[in-house]
This record gives sequence, structure tokens and C-alpha cells, in this order.
Amino acid sequence: MNVDTQLIEHMMNPKNYGTLESADVQGIGKNPENGEKVAIYLRVGKDEDQPYVEDIRFQAIGCTTTVVAGSMLTQEAKGLNFSGVQNLVEATMNLLDRLPPEDAACSEMVALAIKAAVDTYEKRQTDPDYPVITYKVVNSCVPKEEKQEEEK
Amino acid sequence: MKTLMIKTHEAWLEMLMAGFMSKTQNKQVLFDFSDILFRHFTWLENELIEMEESYSYDRDSIPIKVEKLSDLLHDIVLRLNEIDLQLLSSPDKELAGRIASDIHYMRDVVSNMNDEIITAFSMERVFPGISLTQEATDALTLFLFEETYKEYELIMIYNYLKAHSNDAYMNRIFQILIDESFFHLKSFGDMGAKMGILAVPRIVMKELYQVEDVVMFLKDGINEELAAKEECKKLSEAVGKDSPELAKFFDFINHQENYHIALMKDALKHYTGEEHA
Repeated sequence: MNVDTQLIEHMMNPKNYGTLESADVQGIGKNPENGEKVAIYLRVGKDEDQPYVEDIRFQAIGCTTTVVAGSMLTQEAKGLNFSGVQNLVEATMNLLDRLPPEDAACSEMVALAIKAAVDTYEKRQTDPDYPVITYKVVNSCVPKEEKQEEEK
Repeated sequence: MKTLMIKTHEAWLEMLMAGFMSKTQNKQVLFDFSDILFRHFTWLENELIEMEESYSYDRDSIPIKVEKLSDLLHDIVLRLNEIDLQLLSSPDKELAGRIASDIHYMRDVVSNMNDEIITAFSMERVFPGISLTQEATDALTLFLFEETYKEYELIMIYNYLKAHSNDAYMNRIFQILIDESFFHLKSFGDMGAKMGILAVPRIVMKELYQVEDVVMFLKDGINEELAAKEECKKLSEAVGKDSPELAKFFDFINHQENYHIALMKDALKHYTGEEHA
């Protein structure tokens, strides 16, 4: 990770870290490879045509990169309607190829946790007991060359 | 009682952060007071366990970014006042009395401390007296953020395990691990403050300390310690060219992880032996 002032600010004071007591819904992103996980808590507001992210929090079992990604993406998501959130998730997923593997897995985990929260909310509109959705990352946290070494 | 424990948790961390920020004789006093507040926290936790009340280590975020130490000390005094008030409704009057006595003394000392200008949030990332390359500075920055949190996380996990165990052998191990993690947390926090990147460690997720499978936790823990040794080794190499002194320190931390590994192996042996008995 290239460490610049903006990143340090997110490391020192991660935005939206913690739980949300009045959350309407939760979503989970998980890395099955190492057990790291991100939980997203959403409070959903109602606009005229569609729901929007009134407030958002996250918690992470993971590295500093995950916390930075959580801090940045939750800031971006706050205030967006659900179409906007889906666009944010898609845009993040499209960027992953350009990131180092360990950073890609962390950002993917946060994006998937946000998507899981939105999808859980939508499912619960027809089935209030629908369980919290967990999405698993496909990117590996381990750089390819290290992985090949480990597999030998 | 739960609120009292949360408030004490927050005061403990804020006092510890004030200790990191200080560059004068205030430092050791603030560290000693933070240790006392941590012990209050464990007393209160024990009360909750005896009362069979559920609890967690959740807390609010703690804003610490100040320009003068007196600003933070003022906030600490407000927290201590709040604790003092909460103690009035505590069911264990004897415990409340003991804690209140400490709180009154600490409040008095903290209120009269000499002021200091704070540089712990300058973000300059320059270690006093040492000139590191950009690469080494970045590596050290990431290491300090990762490991400061990790040591806090370990203190909370071992503390929770200890609080819920009546096994003297295991509790001895947990206590040593807590003490070791405190030493590392204080070392890394101090370095973070010197580099101008001091931060309160983030809240630990419940599922990390409410351990369901202790054997798996210990096995994973040993692997994590081995990985931490590797990180220390890499960091020692990264800073070694510019600062043999810092390199030696990270070699020392690397070798200290051997204690953790030995203790966790002992714990694992004890646990699995008992399970098979």
C-alpha cells in the first residue's frame, strides 16, 4: 500500500467504524482463505421512489487495508440511494484488477459486505425473516507468486 | 454496571493515550493511572460475571486529537466525574468505595498536571534522531497501525478468556500474555506518538474475544505469532540500513514473540490434555 496523507488520516480515524444500534439491516463480506470478515450495518431511509443509506457503520476482522477500504467506501455510500450503492459496488469491483492482490481482496470484502446489506434489505421486503447475507471474496489475499510457492 | 464498565474502558484508553502523548514526567503517572483504570475494568467485569449479566467490550470512539495535553486531561476529568457518579448506583458498595477513592486521587493529580504541547498527531512520520527512507517509513507506519491494534485485541481476548476461566494454570498463562501485550502496546503506541500518527485502536469485534473454540484459537494464535515474527524480521531489515538501533528493537520484539509461542503451546497442551482426560 502506498502510504499518503489521506490514507494515514483513514488509518488514524477510520470513518464510520463500529456498530449502529438502530441498524435496519446487516451484511457480511468474508474471506474464506484467512477468516477475515467485514460487517456492514445500515440504517435505511425512505425517499419518494427508493430506499437510501441514511447511516452506515462497519466493523472488521482484518488488516489496516481493510479498515482503510471500509472507511473510504462507507463514506462514499452514505446518502446514496440503493441504485447508487449498487453502482458504487460495481465500480469498486471493476477496479480490483488494478490493485495489488492483498489490497484487492480487502476492497472486495468491503464492497461485498455493502452489497450483502442492501440485498438482505431487499429480500426482507417480502420475507422479514430472511437471514443476513454473507458474500465471499474471490480475490486471494496472498500474492500469486507466494501462493505458488506455498502450493509447491 | 454495564455503563460503568464501558465508561471505565474508555477512561483507561484515554489515559493511556495521554501517556503516549506526554514527553515529561507526566508520562509515567499517566501510564500508572491507565493501569489502575484497567484493573478497575477487570473488577467491574468480574462483578458482571458474578451477577450473570451479559456484557461486551463495545464502547464509543474516543476523540483524542488535541494540541495541548490540558485539553485531553480536561476531558479525562469529565470522564472520571461520570464514573464517580455511576459508582453511586453500583450494587457492590465496597468495590465502588475502593474505585471512588482511586478516582478522586487521580482526578486531583490529573487536574494539576503541567501542560504540554502535543505533537503526536503531526503526521510528520519522522522518528526523532533517525532518518529513514520513504520505503522504510511506510513499512514502519503500516507496522505500527497493524500491531498497535493487534496488541490491544490480544489484551481484550486474553482478558476475556481469563475472566471466564477458573483454571489457575491457564490464568497464569493468560496473565503473562496480557502483560507481554501491554508492554508491546506501550512500545508501539509510544513510537506512533513520536512519528505523529498516534491513534486509538479500533473496537474489537465480539466474535474475536467470545471464543467458542479455544483449541482452534490457540492454534491460530501460534500461527499469527509466527507471522508477527516474520513481520518484525522484515521491518528490522527495512529499517536496518538507516537505523541499527531500530533494527535491534524489532529483533528484540521478534524474539519476544517466542515467549508468546511457548505460552500458547503450553496452553494448547494443557487444554487438549484436559479435553482428552
